[in-house]
Amino acid sequence: MAARDPGALREAIVLYASTLQRIAFRMTGDAHEAEDLVQEAMLRLWDQAPKIAARHPVGSQAAAALRLGGWLNRVVTNLAIDRLRRARRMSAGEVPDSEDDAPRADALIEAGARDRSARALIAALPERQRAAIVLTYYEDLSNAAAADALDMNIKAFESLLLRARTALRKAYAAFGEGGAQ
Amino acid sequence: MSTNDIIAGSPLARRLDNYPVPDLSAGFVDRVLAAAEARAAPPPELRRTGGGGGRGWRLGRRLAIATFGFSAIASAAAATGMLDRLDIAVPSPDRVWASITGKQPEAAAPVLIAAQSADSPATAPAVFDGLIDTPEELNEAFRRIDDVRQGRIEARRERQDERIERAIERRRAAGLPVPSEEEQALQRQRINEVQAIRQQRADERIKARRDELERKVESGEALTREDIVRPLRDDQRAMDRREQMVRLRQMTPQQRRALIEEYRTRRSAPEAGAEASIPDSPAPDTVPVEESLPPQP
Repeated sequence: MAARDPGALREAIVLYASTLQRIAFRMTGDAHEAEDLVQEAMLRLWDQAPKIAARHPVGSQAAAALRLGGWLNRVVTNLAIDRLRRARRMSAGEVPDSEDDAPRADALIEAGARDRSARALIAALPERQRAAIVLTYYEDLSNAAAADALDMNIKAFESLLLRARTALRKAYAAFGEGGAQ
Repeated sequence: MSTNDIIAGSPLARRLDNYPVPDLSAGFVDRVLAAAEARAAPPPELRRTGGGGGRGWRLGRRLAIATFGFSAIASAAAATGMLDRLDIAVPSPDRVWASITGKQPEAAAPVLIAAQSADSPATAPAVFDGLIDTPEELNEAFRRIDDVRQGRIEARRERQDERIERAIERRRAAGLPVPSEEEQALQRQRINEVQAIRQQRADERIKARRDELERKVESGEALTREDIVRPLRDDQRAMDRREQMVRLRQMTPQQRRALIEEYRTRRSAPEAGAEASIPDSPAPDTVPVEESLPPQP
């Protein structure tokens, strides 16, 4: 791909796009938006390929350690978080002082207690908590890999995941445990 | 598995599992490929990373550590007299000051220095005999400072031109549109205008400072090193604040605590009125500090 070969990009899309689509869709809850994000992630790979190749020469230790899937997960997760934050700002929502300290689940649930689906449960979480659940629960990534995707150290990620699960349970309880699917 | 995990098969897990993801739309791959082909090549790197950004940062950090380490060792050696024992010459503050004033540190006789214009009969040769206490000496000092300043301005202009040229080269190399000659001229003119405004402000500050120095000399006061090397941008308020800090540091811990306590009391009861907010001296020997002084731990 570093040699600007479209065939290589096609191969990468076939290999990774469905995973990225799952992450992006579950983060945003919108199929079109998710597709946009996947496209942007793949184009960034296309742009960055020469640089990535230069930093990971073939046969080197760095090349052996390179996980393109992990890199793409990180890009698409960050793009989704950015998109969600921008959407929140555009909708004149309040920007919290701290990203993850106070789960917004309660507020969101009280404000919009109408959709009892899994999508609403996930959407009730702040962006980074949402990403933590999507990456570990749905994508079954290890904590280390998910922390890498979110560019966090493992301890901070575990703390984030703990808060995300707690918020998720609260949301679930608030929706009513036997709620409609 | 921790106790916080979402257990498979639990009601919550069943709810979460019911979240199907739609497939990518037909033709997605072709759309991405078309977008990739249409995408302009990314601009080249601003700086050469030397095979990796991390490496550049590491190198920079090592250089910084080496510089800092060398400075620390050199300072320690100078402070302990090691350099003296090894017969290594270290420029003392007196010599640095002498390089500004032109006076030889150990010279018994004053050094004659050519004035600005030898042709002008009104201008006598400037002689620095230690302190600057005559208008001629002051003018000579100003002239030297202006020389240095002019050199810096010229160097800055050259750097600016080089940067503009490099930026245009980068854009050209990336295949991006470059500004035309007219646009470049317009941009340079704008830069020059902004710099002229800055220059004018600096000139005003310098003039104010020089007027002040001239008044001092005219009133018979000899200028010290501090008068000349004082940072230009220090306004009176900053100077006052610095003096307040010095006074605060010179107080005993008890005096300092008392002053801080007064400040807190004042902050917590602002409604008591301006007059009531001015405290009495906390202790008989407390150095008065202006009301605006914030407490320092």
